[in-house]
Amino acid sequence: MSATTPNPPESVTGVQLAQGIGHQPAKGFWADAWSQVLKRPAAVASIAWIAIVAVFAILAPFIASGHPLTQTIDGQTTSPLIDNLSSADVLLLIFGIITAAMMLPKRGAPRSKRGAALVLAAIQAGATVILTAAIRSWFERRSAPQFAQDAAAAAAFPYALPIAIASLLAILFLIASRPWQSFAARLAWVAMIAVVAAGVISFKWTEPLERFDYREREAAGMIDATYTLIPFSPGQTSTSLFFEPPGTTLGEGLGERAAGRLPPEDAGKRFILGTDAQGQDVLTQMLHACRLSISIGLVSTSIAVVIGVTIGALMGYFGGWVDLLLYRVVEIFMAIPLLFLLIVAAGVLPRNTYVMMIIIGCVTWTGAARFTRAEFFKLRNQDFVQSARSVGLPLRSILFRHMLPNGVTPVLVDASFAIAAAILIEAILSFLGLGPVNQPSWGRLLSDSTNETGVFKWWLAIFPGAAIFLTVLAYNLIGEALRDAIDPKLKKARV
Amino acid sequence: MGTYIIRRLLLMIPTIIGITFLIFMLIALSPGGIGAGLRVAGGQMEATSRALQEAYLEDRYGLNDPVVVQYGRWLSRVSPVKFGEREQIAPDGSRQRAPRAIDPPVGWQWITDDLAPAAAEPFAWPDDATEESKDRTYRRQSNAYAQARARSIAAATEFEQALSAYLRAVDLDKFVFGTGKVRPAAIKSHTPNRDLPEWQTAQALGEQALAEYQGAIDERQNKITMLRAKPYREAGVPIIPGTLSVAMPDLGVSFARSRPVSTLIAEALPITLLLNVIAFVLIYLIAVPSGMLAAARSGTAIDVGLGALYVALWSFPIPLAGVLAIGFLASNDYLGAFPVAGLHDSAADTFAFLPTFSESGAFQRGYLLDSLWHVCLPVLCLVYGGFAVLSKQTRAAMLENYNADYVRTAKAKGVAPRDVLFRHVFRNSLLPLITMFVSIFPAMLSGSVVIERIFSVQGMGNLAIEAINLRDRELILATTLIVGAVNLLALLLADILYALADPRISYE
Repeated sequence: MSATTPNPPESVTGVQLAQGIGHQPAKGFWADAWSQVLKRPAAVASIAWIAIVAVFAILAPFIASGHPLTQTIDGQTTSPLIDNLSSADVLLLIFGIITAAMMLPKRGAPRSKRGAALVLAAIQAGATVILTAAIRSWFERRSAPQFAQDAAAAAAFPYALPIAIASLLAILFLIASRPWQSFAARLAWVAMIAVVAAGVISFKWTEPLERFDYREREAAGMIDATYTLIPFSPGQTSTSLFFEPPGTTLGEGLGERAAGRLPPEDAGKRFILGTDAQGQDVLTQMLHACRLSISIGLVSTSIAVVIGVTIGALMGYFGGWVDLLLYRVVEIFMAIPLLFLLIVAAGVLPRNTYVMMIIIGCVTWTGAARFTRAEFFKLRNQDFVQSARSVGLPLRSILFRHMLPNGVTPVLVDASFAIAAAILIEAILSFLGLGPVNQPSWGRLLSDSTNETGVFKWWLAIFPGAAIFLTVLAYNLIGEALRDAIDPKLKKARV
Repeated sequence: MGTYIIRRLLLMIPTIIGITFLIFMLIALSPGGIGAGLRVAGGQMEATSRALQEAYLEDRYGLNDPVVVQYGRWLSRVSPVKFGEREQIAPDGSRQRAPRAIDPPVGWQWITDDLAPAAAEPFAWPDDATEESKDRTYRRQSNAYAQARARSIAAATEFEQALSAYLRAVDLDKFVFGTGKVRPAAIKSHTPNRDLPEWQTAQALGEQALAEYQGAIDERQNKITMLRAKPYREAGVPIIPGTLSVAMPDLGVSFARSRPVSTLIAEALPITLLLNVIAFVLIYLIAVPSGMLAAARSGTAIDVGLGALYVALWSFPIPLAGVLAIGFLASNDYLGAFPVAGLHDSAADTFAFLPTFSESGAFQRGYLLDSLWHVCLPVLCLVYGGFAVLSKQTRAAMLENYNADYVRTAKAKGVAPRDVLFRHVFRNSLLPLITMFVSIFPAMLSGSVVIERIFSVQGMGNLAIEAINLRDRELILATTLIVGAVNLLALLLADILYALADPRISYE
């Protein structure tokens, strides 16, 4: 942007201006809106908070883990922490590093293009991981057909399956990303992602250990271990450690007799934010729950925007009976309070993160649909749409390449609020006991604070509650800043 | 206006059908399908009582039919417009209707050619029959029918097992499903080989199954005749006698609680509505002045402070609000000033309605005050979110009008600032606030689910969650139906109010 023009002179005359000296390139619509957002301290603080949560989402397994960073057995040093990372952990770390490397420098291609490439990469790698896991569990279940069981038992299976799925998805994404860059660049990018994803999945084929006994072995003098900053894993339950207040050490929690059998440095480990109903460390759970919170907001809102924009575009462009029919569908979703629908869906469908993202996305699309419909009603009779139609462009091109960029603004502003709403919904569903199972979640921690025992556990209300509140608040503040930057009417009203 | 309301009410019907269809399909998608929750209830029973249970489920829900057919059946039960003979209402509130036809055992064509119920004997109540004796006799007949039907199902199952063993023996495996059920198509194309020992077993069992089937259809015939003699009072009002009538919807019986769903909802719905109505009045009473203040002091520290408060309150998670309220204000560990659960004191039944002082001078807070005291915290948690939204909206609406030409004219004429604010701007800013009802009300119904859960209030939200946890199909469908209907009616009310408040709007 400004880097392309060398330092402009301090003042220019009219003649110089006519010659193009001192000419500043006009800022694009979004770039202008974004710079307006960055002028607000509250919005900048919000972006910083979300960045912190995102960094914790990536680094949680490295900061908080019950697996020792290093362990020494008979003079041999290994790292159980690195051995017990899941493929998603590793891929996320790689993705985080690449994102930082690509987005931070000011030079090069515009940031929007770099961002688009990263989003594409994230979707491709994520799809590879999810598809591989789904097909793997189908092959390995007990009631699978014989050929599947044989294949799963083969030695080449951990390599063949990820490679097959990664190459299949690479081809799909190569076709789907057609409007973007040159063929060679797309091929290189897509191939690189496929290789990295397949490599990491094959390399991390065995599931991480859920149960382990490093402490006992350390006490017995079998190993010599050093731990990371927070030496607990999210699933590390203990029957004797439930509801310990913040600051309790492991030794105090276990009681004197059991603590006496621990090495002194282990007995001094602190539960900085206390423990929950299962005796799991709260801080560890909160760090690991960042991933759920960040991903559920982004993914479910993306699903909602895609569904909503498609249906809204059809309604607004065609009008007539298409509009009448599809708007009844929108009304059905608006007629029932969302939480009731979500409770039923989350209650009867399998409880895992992906299903929950899809449920939230499929239920909350009506906002995006209504905004798109209203914009397309305004646009459909404008000259550029008429001319696009008259030269015989396909419907897909008219709707999504010509009309959508002119009508997507309200949807994108609303998306920021929608992300906040999705995070709230996840917290509420987890609070009601309908969230994903075996997954640390702020909402689930919150629900432990007042339960059947009847005694109020303040640390289980304050810390997870504050995390939910701050994240939701951050997205809402960004949304407000963005809306104020874009909505000229409100701008006028403020003067 | 009248035609508009009628049109809106009619448009609600497809919407309600859409909602319930969506929910029905969701339950059908779940592992185990639409009948899972019902069938699980029979898991621990003995074989005979399970057959009884299955017979009952089959008769009431037809779980073996396609999902769409089952939905259609549910809809026709819920629909206030009924076709065919009118139902009768038993004293326990359940609806009595003619039992559904029973399918003959698969493969009956190989055993006999002819299946027909015996001609039913005419039935009439004795002259001295009372309500109770009629009820007793009818129940006895219902039991006899249920048992005959259960026996018939058990015998048919045994026969089917024997048949599938036979079909396997003659290498006709393709006609047997993995579960041991026989494909009915087998019957047309096959003549049984009567010499095989498998066939002889099957035939013996088949004759028994047919005898039981005959018994069941006879008992069914008797039950229908007795029902036609009308042991109970009929439901609803006839439009065309014998074919069309209008009656209250039959919401079915909850499996988990073994009570009619309509009575459960009649207990829960007023509680939820009470909470929401109190909260609503409070929201409008506080939010409008606060929004006006922010607009009148636009740009000052008060405006900025209020703006920050609105965003913060709006982002505040409702579970956190509930947990903090119950933890710090209600729990005895801290303030302990409010009740922890429920809407009444356990001794509230003995209270007088208004506060009283007993003779010894002790204060007794009375039913009214007791209820208000219990309602405080739940309502507080329901109010704050809507307050933030509505205040922001009030402020925006006021500011928008400030820039309008007529306000500038008023100022130019020299109208006092106070009069400009209250008489010009405020009156015109009220209209958008009525439409805000549309977005606040559903959100509050959602919020009351969480609040009812935290404060153990037995309202619609708690009922819905309980229904989901127990997979109580009738209760799930009924709660979503009622909540959806309440929500739609509230939206209609908002539109009518809008037309009343703004003379420019006409729905004619």
